[in-house]
Amino acid sequence: MEKIEITLNINGKPHEVTIYPNDTLLDVLRDKLDLTGSKESCGEGVCGSCTVHMDGKPVRACLTLAMEAQDAEIKTVEGLANGDELSNLQQSFIDHGAVQCGFCTPGMLMSADALLRENPKPDEKTIRKALAGNICRCTGYAKIVQAVAHAAQPQDNCCDCKSKE
Amino acid sequence: MSDHTLIGTRMPRVDSRAKVMGKAKYTADLKLPGMLVGKIKRSPYAHARILNIDTSKAEALPGVKAVVTGKDTEGVKWGVFPYTRDQQFIQVEKARYIGDEVAGVAAMDEETALRALDLIEVEYEELPAIFDPMEAMASDTELIHEDFPNNINIHVNIDTGNVEENFEKAHYIREDTFMASEESYFHAEPYAVVARFDHEDCLEVWCPNAGPHMKSKPLSNSFKIPLHKVKIKKIAIGGAFGGRSEICPADYICALLAKKTGKPVKIVFTREENTIATRQGHAMITTHKTGVDREGRVLARESTCYMDGGAYSSTGPIATSVPFLSMEQAYRMESVRYNGYRIYTNKPIRGMIRVHGRGFACGVDTQLDMIADHLGIDPVEIRLKNSRQPGDYTSTKSYVSSCAMDETIHKAVEKSGFKEKWGKLPPFHGIGIGTNSVQTGFPMGIRGGSQSFIKFNEDGEATVMSGVVDNGQGNENMLVQIAAEELGLLPEDIHLVNADTETTSSDPGSYSQVSTFVGGHAVKIAAENCREKLFKVAAKVLKVDPQELAAKNRLIFVKDDPEKSIPIKKVVRISLLNFTSVNAEGGYWPKVDMKREWVKNPYGQMCEAFSFGTTIVEVKVDPVTGQVEVLEATAAQDVGYALNPLILEGQFEGSVAMGGQGGMLTEYHEWMDGRCINPTMLDYKVPLACDMPRINNIIVESIDPKGPYGAKEAGMSIAMSAAQGYSGAVSNAIGVFLDSFPLTPDKILAAIKEKQTRQLKQENADKTEGN
Repeated sequence: MEKIEITLNINGKPHEVTIYPNDTLLDVLRDKLDLTGSKESCGEGVCGSCTVHMDGKPVRACLTLAMEAQDAEIKTVEGLANGDELSNLQQSFIDHGAVQCGFCTPGMLMSADALLRENPKPDEKTIRKALAGNICRCTGYAKIVQAVAHAAQPQDNCCDCKSKE
Repeated sequence: MSDHTLIGTRMPRVDSRAKVMGKAKYTADLKLPGMLVGKIKRSPYAHARILNIDTSKAEALPGVKAVVTGKDTEGVKWGVFPYTRDQQFIQVEKARYIGDEVAGVAAMDEETALRALDLIEVEYEELPAIFDPMEAMASDTELIHEDFPNNINIHVNIDTGNVEENFEKAHYIREDTFMASEESYFHAEPYAVVARFDHEDCLEVWCPNAGPHMKSKPLSNSFKIPLHKVKIKKIAIGGAFGGRSEICPADYICALLAKKTGKPVKIVFTREENTIATRQGHAMITTHKTGVDREGRVLARESTCYMDGGAYSSTGPIATSVPFLSMEQAYRMESVRYNGYRIYTNKPIRGMIRVHGRGFACGVDTQLDMIADHLGIDPVEIRLKNSRQPGDYTSTKSYVSSCAMDETIHKAVEKSGFKEKWGKLPPFHGIGIGTNSVQTGFPMGIRGGSQSFIKFNEDGEATVMSGVVDNGQGNENMLVQIAAEELGLLPEDIHLVNADTETTSSDPGSYSQVSTFVGGHAVKIAAENCREKLFKVAAKVLKVDPQELAAKNRLIFVKDDPEKSIPIKKVVRISLLNFTSVNAEGGYWPKVDMKREWVKNPYGQMCEAFSFGTTIVEVKVDPVTGQVEVLEATAAQDVGYALNPLILEGQFEGSVAMGGQGGMLTEYHEWMDGRCINPTMLDYKVPLACDMPRINNIIVESIDPKGPYGAKEAGMSIAMSAAQGYSGAVSNAIGVFLDSFPLTPDKILAAIKEKQTRQLKQENADKTEGN
């Protein structure tokens, strides 16, 4: 198979990479661009650990060919913060104890971030549905769901919501 | 406790920031200069003699840097205990399960490594394979390991005496058998290992682990190099749940490839390999015979458990004991006899898992519910009649100092409305309760204690060193929280160096639920010793007695006159200028009975503390589909003292998910001729966000006299009791006591149908009688 050169727009910056046509977006992000925040857990599109955005929509990077992503604006977990300044969602994950082993966290954040961009005030059922493609083995999801719900709408009666201060 | 600044607060975890930014490095994320890709060739047969391995074609493939087989291992056998050394890291004579390691390769890239695996020619002679533990035990001739008659790997026998006499005295006796299938961890992070030999011939290894010192010793033994030359390095870990406690053959194979090539090598497991070739939970068949008095107090119990151990011993003696131990801790029994058999089969290796012995535990509680039903009392009452009390000794002679089992029952009952709901819910709507107990530590011999070192830097900040590892449960935050509290610093002033065998002392590891109790304790003592040194210097400056001082917010101040203070940074600098050490160490060794041994002498003090938990679950069952909708789970655990309620709640919620929702409703393996047919996340059903019910967390504190600040194991009692609560609730909903776990829709529907048929027959019989 012959290698080809493509340009990927990731987190607002163009990256020129030489790839095989059958390289997945996940492999290119992790192996060629050192963007190892996106994780491989199942490798078959079930667990959501590799979720990234293409033009604002969450996609499985393990099932997406890098070639397919050429014309899209790609966003990975590394692009969520503005420099050292975390997004409200990232901060909410920390404050609500939504992170345990952290391996599913990048994918979970990307799915949740896409949801909040589409629906800034989702109810609990909507959040659980939006995260149903992301598997977590540590948390039982309760704190993740709370972190997403309170990221956009800090609650006065929540002892873990910091942004109200 | 109220004068603490950090302890007891909902302090967010210190490791979260790197994780939400995608900066935390896990093993598969590592890239070292010149690194090769390692792959493992595995047996396609469940039981086969290895006649010959020809690696010449693989070695000739361009890009292949090394091939290793059993010949390179010098036949070293490994086992957790001296009497369980039954596993070679690469098989020489026989493969004993589909997935057993037969060779390893290192190549320039993954594609070449995979092609090389195909080019390794292994000549096998297939042997008869045994997949059923009862068949395996019945066989005198078909042996999986020659030196284990009847394929019995481990037999644990516990007998308190007077069992027969107490059965004689019993008012009511029941004997029931319960079954449970194998389950898997499905850690988010597939297993991975990176190994290299450095310029000083030290072996450096990065891999997920539940105790780095548990990895370094077998590697030191296998490579015949001193322990100080084996450096298990700190790395972020994507979950363990009991499945990453021991050395993995891949660790050895990776290191061997690194040695042979002189290059770093990385092996990353596929999801299937993580399921098949790490560990699984044991399938088990358990018979409980229980005799009670008129009030429902257990006078005698005889439990016999047959566990499908798979191809090798792993943590067999522990695994065979723990289901019984959890029961004897949770419940009083006048007398008890236990026979636990772990049996070899030609299936993947079984180890410890978060809900260890779900079939055993759910059997105990289901039978209690059956007995309560017979006696006309409710499930809460029968548990309160038998629940463990503080000041008791367990059946195997462990003293229980702190215990708030009853409080967990009362609080969970109140919060869930159990009393109002029991017996009054509509058809196919049920409620159930489970209670259990978990050890805070195992007898670990030489590795039972933990030591910590603290060094102050000249800027007044501190480096804390501890062997404790964090698999995701929050251990690192626990150590920082304790150190900052005791030193009077802010969490950001602490730099933690942990889980690294080069710099940190031996530690029991996290798999025996002992990290806070022992490792956290050691940090607390080290910090107290450090603080004492600072106070001596500060006392001179402030012209007071050291005992009058306290430390908080980077200041040392006079307790009765807080205005009178000195910055810690200044005290450190004064100390150094006066040739005074500001560093300190501290260690903690739990007082357990060192003569207690899993098989030879299962009596004596097991560990210093036990946790106790109750979970109440409410469900609705769809009688047409057999699907279970879980409405609410209420989890209460006696954690001793809640160092950080935010983290504890996360442990409770995760336990309900893995122990109850997954463990009781969907998680199990299916087999065809020894081949696991659902090794992937697509086929093996773990709970999703949309499946989970509302969870009520109730933290109960008994202030353990030995635990740091009174803390002990936190969270695992919920995983165990959640399984029992779920099974009780489903049984209650359909009016049938279920005896095979997990409770999948097919089993639920069959039970409903059987009940309906029985009722119909009864009605017909009644009619006939009436005529």
